Amino acid sequence: MSLNSVSENTLDLGNLSYLTEVDDNLCCPICHSPLVDPVHTKCRHTFCSSCITEALETSKTCPVDRKPLKLEDVSAAPIMIANLVNDLVVLCPNSEFGCPMTCARYLLGGHLREDCAFVAVKCLGCDGTIMRRDAGSECLHQLVECPFCSSSCRKIDMENHRVECPRIIAACNHCSGDFTRSNIKAHEATCDEAIMPCESSDVGCPWKGARRELTEHTRACPFTLLRPVLHAHAGRLETLELENRALRRKIDILLPPRPPTEAAAPFFDEHTIQLLAEQEHLRSDLERLTASLSEMEIQQGMLLMNESLRLKEEVAGLRAAIGGIRMQIHWLMNTRHQAVDQRPVGGTSSSSGPQNSSAQGGNLSSGGVLPNIRRMADPLNDRVKL
Amino acid sequence: MAQAAKRITREYTEIEANPPQGITIQPIDEDMFKWNIEITGPKESIYAGGTFKLLLTLPTNYPFKPPVLSFQTKIYHPNVTNDDKGSMCLGILRSDQWKPSCKILAVLEMARGLLMEPNPDDAVETSIAEQYKSDKAAFEKTAKAWVKQYAK
Repeated sequence: MSLNSVSENTLDLGNLSYLTEVDDNLCCPICHSPLVDPVHTKCRHTFCSSCITEALETSKTCPVDRKPLKLEDVSAAPIMIANLVNDLVVLCPNSEFGCPMTCARYLLGGHLREDCAFVAVKCLGCDGTIMRRDAGSECLHQLVECPFCSSSCRKIDMENHRVECPRIIAACNHCSGDFTRSNIKAHEATCDEAIMPCESSDVGCPWKGARRELTEHTRACPFTLLRPVLHAHAGRLETLELENRALRRKIDILLPPRPPTEAAAPFFDEHTIQLLAEQEHLRSDLERLTASLSEMEIQQGMLLMNESLRLKEEVAGLRAAIGGIRMQIHWLMNTRHQAVDQRPVGGTSSSSGPQNSSAQGGNLSSGGVLPNIRRMADPLNDRVKL
Repeated sequence: MAQAAKRITREYTEIEANPPQGITIQPIDEDMFKWNIEITGPKESIYAGGTFKLLLTLPTNYPFKPPVLSFQTKIYHPNVTNDDKGSMCLGILRSDQWKPSCKILAVLEMARGLLMEPNPDDAVETSIAEQYKSDKAAFEKTAKAWVKQYAK
């Protein structure tokens, strides 16, 4: 694995993963990757220098516009373009081995040379290579003996070996004994401390305990005592269930399917049905009555309104008549006052009209026309006051 | 070679991320130099309802040499040879017209465009091209019959 990782010498700038999507304008039209070592042609197209060199070996034309092109027509692109692509942030090519580094592309060489923990470097103790993170003062390539299985392996592989060594000591999960990994399975099958269910757990015994207590439990276990009986019952139950199922199938075949409405009918006896019918009757009656009642209410309201309208009109008519009459009285009174004023005798009582009129009302023979009007005016006056 | 594989992989992921209408792609081998293509006949064309299998072969020095596109399904078309190869005559695929900057997606879309509108002036099957120009009804009839027979 250490040999597959990328070092500064094997770094291929054209095969990097970029942190963000790169603008198409910064990509080479040939490899479709961000430009590496950008060059441009006399027809003003930009390519990676390696891409255009290879393209010109195949065809002496520009890969974009097919104009004739020679290697001499290609020159380094403006430094700004190179800076733009060199500043793009890339992932370390060893990220698949676990390197978390991201940096500008031009810094990647330095990272691989100096820092990256996943670059293969020369082992200090021998001629081999080793990942930088594992490199130390001692050589990890020398063979060491496994203390358990006495096979030898390289020190660097020891960690992997420990995981799979068959002779390594492992503790039993139940007792405190130590066993080699190859024996532990056999031991667990007989370990006295291993937790076991009761042998009658299939008929419902909830007991669980260490294997050494199992015999004692079995002797006292009520489930074990009843086991033969329970088994016999279970067997019978099963046969009966089977028989039942077969019989049900037969019934289904023999009987025609029942109409679903029949099932509900027997719940009500005759009396209840009668009562229900009666209730239904009453309810419809009630509805009918409510409807006619509301109709009558509306009619009543209409009648009342008509009546009051008529009355209002009459009152208005009467009021107009009263107004007319009052005008007449005024006129008459005025003429009478004038007549009294011309008469020398009644001149003193001209200011008190009502007294005067009552006095004259008592004396019917004395005035011909006036008392008559007065009499008509009196009840009218009363009504106006009302 | 490595560069070709890299660019092909890049183009494949691009097409997968944004698949074109009516075209499916499926690389045959792991090295991605041969692709199975399926193009459905464009709805408004006479090839509607048909599904055409094509084989795209990319040269080892792609993109400096053009890819080769051939019909596996028989098709009655002036620009496709009427033989076992089913080679498609696509202008941009000729070596003298190919540009390394051209993408596979553009090639496939152009192939589908040729189903929509055949180009009788650049034909490989001259008799079909003649018929297409002089008796379009007969051409369409045969083309539709072939779709029914081979491309269903």
